[in-house]
Amino acid sequence: MATNISNNPSRALHDGGQPSRVVASVRVLDVRKPCREHVWVEFDARSLPASEPGQFLQVVCAPDAAIPDHAVDWTEGRLPQLSGVDWQGRTPQVRRPFSIADRWTAADGGDRAAIISRAIGPGTRWLDNLQPGAMLSITGPLGVGFAIPPIGRPLVLIGGGVGIPPFLYLARRLLELGHRDLTLIFGVQSRDLMPIEVVASPAPDGAASACLRLPSGDAPPAIVTTDDGSLGLRGRVTDALAAWLKQRGESGRAALVYACGPEPMLHAVARQTRAESLECQLCIERLMGCGLGTCLSCIVQTPCARSAAGWRWTLSCSSGPVFDRDALIEFAH
Amino acid sequence: MMQQNLIDPALRTTLAGVPMVSPVLTASGTCGYGPEYAELLDYRRLGGFTTKSVTRHERPGNNPERIVETRAGLLNAIGLANVGVERFIAEKIPFIERMPTSVWVNVAGYDISDYTFVIERLDEHACIAGFELNVSCPNVKDGLMFGTDPRLLREVVAAARAASKRHPMIVKLSPNVTDIADLARAAIDGGADALSLINTYVGLSINAETWKPNIANVTGGLSGPAIKPLALFNVHRVYREVAQKANIPILGMGGIQTTSDAVEFLLAGATAVAVGTALFVDPTIPQKIAAELPAYLSKRGLSHVSELVGRFAFAK
Repeated sequence: MATNISNNPSRALHDGGQPSRVVASVRVLDVRKPCREHVWVEFDARSLPASEPGQFLQVVCAPDAAIPDHAVDWTEGRLPQLSGVDWQGRTPQVRRPFSIADRWTAADGGDRAAIISRAIGPGTRWLDNLQPGAMLSITGPLGVGFAIPPIGRPLVLIGGGVGIPPFLYLARRLLELGHRDLTLIFGVQSRDLMPIEVVASPAPDGAASACLRLPSGDAPPAIVTTDDGSLGLRGRVTDALAAWLKQRGESGRAALVYACGPEPMLHAVARQTRAESLECQLCIERLMGCGLGTCLSCIVQTPCARSAAGWRWTLSCSSGPVFDRDALIEFAH
Repeated sequence: MMQQNLIDPALRTTLAGVPMVSPVLTASGTCGYGPEYAELLDYRRLGGFTTKSVTRHERPGNNPERIVETRAGLLNAIGLANVGVERFIAEKIPFIERMPTSVWVNVAGYDISDYTFVIERLDEHACIAGFELNVSCPNVKDGLMFGTDPRLLREVVAAARAASKRHPMIVKLSPNVTDIADLARAAIDGGADALSLINTYVGLSINAETWKPNIANVTGGLSGPAIKPLALFNVHRVYREVAQKANIPILGMGGIQTTSDAVEFLLAGATAVAVGTALFVDPTIPQKIAAELPAYLSKRGLSHVSELVGRFAFAK
């Protein structure tokens, strides 16, 4: 069986060095539902090369993978194996991108990583029903992650709904690096959609408190917003950022804001940070066929001096998914 | 020694005179210009690599959305987004020079001079194995013209053929025609050294909620397993009607995902096959197929992959 080949990436062109990305089959170790609509899928990450917060994985979300990992059984006289065949043709044809939600060393020394999925279609519903022990086909790590400034600068991590996962990994990394001045602003529609543990009642006035516990066990200052007021501040993440800026006063002016979430939220944060003259990095998502820079579908407009129009298409899979706000035409003005 | 192990003599073959270590290539537009898969796909196992289309001028391509999944397929309208021939030479050729496989440059254009310009600019580069003429991109205005009119096709192939002093020419045909055999004949008359069969099928995907098309270009090219039976038919027809007699090899493609798929194309008459859309999911598929083919051959008592070509038992 040729299955192992996919775990032996080409060394022909990079001279025996370690590859930065692989196509790998990884074992699922834990599947949990941290809230009503999200699923936390944890896997053995020993075959995954070193990764950065903000990078993503391309995951096959289909029974036995969208593409069979092996040739058909050639045994004569035997009926073909039909179980798992999708007669409705609803099997996703391409992989689905997921931010790396966390990566850590387990108590037993094992390399672990996780993604968080929200079931919205056949592929993500399949992920929802995964069992520990199952194999998951991943490609990664892919893309460019968050740029991290020197220690001392105030950092604000704004995650909205399905945009929260990359910040669990980023917060872990920032704390490991010695950053102490970081604040989480996590917004969800309602209490039962918060994908991480709530350990104390968050302040309804937008004051930061240690109310959320990250998978790492850390509980940095956090502000929670909900649309319906069922948890924390009733309102938007931009209301929370305004409250934070007011409370911090002059020291907040140097803040770097990271944001990931739905498009309207990203636009609102982009407008607000521009108005407040704050630096901002956005983690975006565009329809993606491959994640590897070949299908050319996940395009965003970026400034380009040598183009008559002043912009060009840039691939969010390989130049992103994290961009400086001002490097994205649609968010810069 | 490592190099030795990668090459199974049963798979060695040629395409348009270009030697190949296996009959499995990558298809244009699904593998970039080379660097994109360098860490994932072992190019030493490939029969060849076909670049994204290169045009005379840089093209930004279509607006998003550019792709949409369909049942068992993928519909795309990228719009020949590419760096243009001058940047291709400056930025992509240096990498291609290091690639341990035969690299075919796919060339597209709007009129005959576009094709000859690109080919003349690239012809001096010895790192190129040859050209694949894209006369059938369905996603640009008038792009189908060359691929659907036998007289025009013959003309553009002859001009392209004359523009290259040193490289073989593959012509990639469109299936969006009444009888692909007529186009195959025209391409061969024009001087094609091999035929790629097939490009994508024109298709449409409509959103029933918004009443709008799912891709900005409205129509797109359908690829993936949905078109495999159609592609097999086209290979079969061209092989039986034209290519076998003319002794012109066929590079078969359209929905290939597995070793079985590849074998079916060879049986239908292809000399070699290319993996396209499936690379988006797993760029290692060509090397998996190349690794599995020898076992299939020995199981069938065959000593060489060429013994499969055109061998399917279709007589009624």
